[in-house]
Amino acid sequence: MGSQSCGRLILVTILALGCLCHVGCGRSDSRRTITLWHQMVPRDRVMLNRLVEEFEASHPEIDVRTLYKETEELRSGFQTAALAGIGPELVYGPSDVLGTFHAMGIVGDMSPWLSANEASEFVDGALTYLPDPHDPQRRLLLQVPDRFGNHLALVYNRNFISQPPTTTEEMVELAVANTIDSNGDGRQDRYGLVWNFVEPFFAIPFLTGYGAWVFDDSGKPIPALDTPQSVAAYEFILSLQSEHGVVPRNCDYETADSLFKSGKAAMIINGDWSWTDYLETDEIDAAVAPLPVVSATGKPMAPMVSPKGFSLNALVDAQAAEDAMQFVKFMTSETSQRKFMEEVRILPSRKKLLDDPLIQEDRTLAASKAQLDRGRIMPVDVELRAVWDAMRPPYQSLLGGSTSPAKAARRMQHNALASIDIIQQQSAGTRHLWLWQLAGLALCGAVIVWQRESILGFMPDFRRQPFPYLLIVPAIVVMLATVVFPFFYNVVLSLSNMSLRNFQEWSIVGLRNYVDVFTEAKFFGVLLKTLVWTLVNVFFHVTIGVALAIALNGPIRGKAVYRVLLIIPWAVPAYITALTWRSMFHYDYGAVNLILGKFLGLAPLNWLGEPGLAFTACIVANVWLGFPFMMVIALGGLQGIPQELYEAARIDGANRWEQFRNVTLPLLKPVLAPAVVLGGIWTFNNLNVIWLVSNGGEPADQTHILVSYVYKAVFSFYRYGYGAALSMVIFFMLLGVSVYSLQRTRATESVYV
Amino acid sequence: MKESILTTLSRHLLLILFAAISIYPVLTVVSISLRPGDQLQSTDLSIIPPNWTLNAYRELFTEQPFLRWLGNSLLVSTLVTLTGVVLASIAGYALSRFKFIGRQATMLAILTTQMFPATMLLLPLYILIAKLHLVDTFLGLLVFYVSTALPFCIWQMKGFYDTIPPSLEEAAHIDGCGRASAFWLIILPIAVPGLVITALFSFMTAWSEYIVAAQVLQDRDMFTLPLGIKSFQASMSTQWALYAAASLLVSVPVVIVFLGLSRYLVSGMTLGAVKE
Repeated sequence: MGSQSCGRLILVTILALGCLCHVGCGRSDSRRTITLWHQMVPRDRVMLNRLVEEFEASHPEIDVRTLYKETEELRSGFQTAALAGIGPELVYGPSDVLGTFHAMGIVGDMSPWLSANEASEFVDGALTYLPDPHDPQRRLLLQVPDRFGNHLALVYNRNFISQPPTTTEEMVELAVANTIDSNGDGRQDRYGLVWNFVEPFFAIPFLTGYGAWVFDDSGKPIPALDTPQSVAAYEFILSLQSEHGVVPRNCDYETADSLFKSGKAAMIINGDWSWTDYLETDEIDAAVAPLPVVSATGKPMAPMVSPKGFSLNALVDAQAAEDAMQFVKFMTSETSQRKFMEEVRILPSRKKLLDDPLIQEDRTLAASKAQLDRGRIMPVDVELRAVWDAMRPPYQSLLGGSTSPAKAARRMQHNALASIDIIQQQSAGTRHLWLWQLAGLALCGAVIVWQRESILGFMPDFRRQPFPYLLIVPAIVVMLATVVFPFFYNVVLSLSNMSLRNFQEWSIVGLRNYVDVFTEAKFFGVLLKTLVWTLVNVFFHVTIGVALAIALNGPIRGKAVYRVLLIIPWAVPAYITALTWRSMFHYDYGAVNLILGKFLGLAPLNWLGEPGLAFTACIVANVWLGFPFMMVIALGGLQGIPQELYEAARIDGANRWEQFRNVTLPLLKPVLAPAVVLGGIWTFNNLNVIWLVSNGGEPADQTHILVSYVYKAVFSFYRYGYGAALSMVIFFMLLGVSVYSLQRTRATESVYV
Repeated sequence: MKESILTTLSRHLLLILFAAISIYPVLTVVSISLRPGDQLQSTDLSIIPPNWTLNAYRELFTEQPFLRWLGNSLLVSTLVTLTGVVLASIAGYALSRFKFIGRQATMLAILTTQMFPATMLLLPLYILIAKLHLVDTFLGLLVFYVSTALPFCIWQMKGFYDTIPPSLEEAAHIDGCGRASAFWLIILPIAVPGLVITALFSFMTAWSEYIVAAQVLQDRDMFTLPLGIKSFQASMSTQWALYAAASLLVSVPVVIVFLGLSRYLVSGMTLGAVKE
């Protein structure tokens, strides 16, 4: 019976593996394929699919595959794919990533496909050109857009506001009139004005209205964030909160969106991607208007505007490029753009369409166009990313009430200059490459010499008892297959200068990255936070898990129900529940503050706005996510404890606590030890929860642990070499602690030995 | 020995408290999935939102390839579970019962595979997958998931075997039982709780993983559930209702698997097994 079922199992596995390989080879098609990665919102995707079908019908030899990727994922995924030498023929997105792609050399010139005449049909500034690095006289066409805009405007609810404000004075007046606390409980039932407080992108119209801009007017991307104009703009923003009280305390994108959709905000500042949604929400009567003129300066609040469009992968061959460009031309043609304009009320990138009567007839499009005309084109320089990143923390602190406008502006400028230095860092490789190769060989040699006895003893021992080796080899092979190459790749990367400016042609520079890791002032603070994070989490995981397992063990009514309910935090994917926790910690509307207020009479805490509290919020969420796993392990472990031992203990007069200490705990140890050790390692390296609950390190990058720090270094600052070095440091720290604790606890040894 | 009422009561209290803590955030997810107009946040605390709708669920099954993603995920997770359980149960046994050269090093090496931040592994992993032409195959995913699940599973199984007295096998040897059959007939049945945890863990590893899947799978028809769900997310225009509804449905199979397996976890089966 036993061997039979074993045989069956193996058979099933082999069959299934066969299926997998088959699936892998699937789809034989004589058509040439082009792949497009895009980040179109759901409404646009429907349109995209329709147009792709049309294109394929008229180009039967081409198969277009589209794949949606979220903005950041598209960017990092495209970079990674380019390093591996593959990737989609086309990427579609806003123009602001082009500077980066250009610096990395991963997008190609599209100008051979677009004559000067054709180019002139596009709105000024819609086609994105950047200088050719090899020939500064030439300009490369890096994006052909199918739309122009992506801009903010004012959306107002006509149930509350009949005429949109034309000046900021009027806006404040309307906002004050619409900030209402109807039952006098100190909590507003309606706010006058909301917008996303987290992203500085939403602060740009205020800046431009006061005459400020992100870069100075030299024409070069030099940040100008600390000017009297920008300080005035921040003072105005702050006055909306502190003086007029017309905007909420903390308000991220989702909060602003919900408030407006549920009629609890009279006005919202939001982008063209969101308007159709508002117009279609039944509970409100939304309308779009251009942002008002700043009363103090007489200047209009001007949002950033940018084209969105297609870029060509630099690595594709001539045929694929030709096919891809056919598709781009089709997608950016007048007919295709008109369809998008009619269906999703998006402004086109072609001059002719912009003059179309439809735009004047449709109120939303007309307002959008009016706003677009006042807009300022978003720079595509790589420096802009550093600017956003530098603006975010002080801007968030400003709205959180923990800094002044002048100080915030000063810090923004300071951070921006520092970040740009980091991003633009360029360095030559070492000339002593052979030295490093020699060191690598020497290290391997040393390991062999150090372990010589084991190596020499292996064959005789294998001949003596092959059984254990045979049992363990399959598992080892599978693990090595996925670990060895990435590990050594990272070792090399950590010694290299790979970064934005040395992306494809990187070389070995030695230990510089390691020096950077330990000399960067933030490192030890972040390390300390990581340790606290790990210890607190694991402690609560284990204590709660074991307590619940003990409570569940043995006869108890409703066991099945409890079991299912308690496993739920593990079963529901963390990427949604972590976000749920984030909204539960919201200052005004979160359940946590309401419960604390109702039952404990506590004043509401600004969970997501204060660094310490935000970190606590992350820990609470992660404890919640992790205890069911430990409970399951402990439940399993408890089954392994013979009842006689308890009887024996009772006969010896041991009370419950003593039984727990002397019987349960020691016998639970071998089962729990791997979960605790690995749980510690996983928690140490757990990026997701921190990232989701604190929205990427908010407030002001104060909630980072080492892995989220690595993530940020690599994906915001392109510091691949540095990220790899930091990862190696993390690796060796964990290795050291694990070795030490395993020796101390003797967790690798059996209790019966 | 009968428990005092006080003990029973306090057990229930503890369990009820944590059950409530467990489900409250998930009820919020339920609420998001029923809310019209894709709102993540709500300004009131009611679980059933006013003018609630089941549209998201309907759309998942009629307009989105949800069932296809479900099928893909089930296939991958089942295979990972089978492979994981088989490999971990034998490897753990070797580590628990035999003294062989490199045993300690192996135990540690297994652990070390978990120590490297996943963020930095993605780049080389993708290069590896691309060079081996494993993009858009489940095989690449399978190997990666098994190797992710194995370290814990092996350690876990070793821990379970460690709690089983070696005297049981010795007795079996005396009865003329070979090594393999002693393992199969005596040890494995006793280690069932360990196997259950291993299975559950392997299943979960594959079931909810998303980051690597996003690198390997580029074809929407081959998406696993987490990837499908993530495709509802966009910066500043996520389809929250679909996202929440799909996340809830994703957890149903996990709960079923757990229910099916958990009688082995909390049964009255005692390891003592020798006498009752």
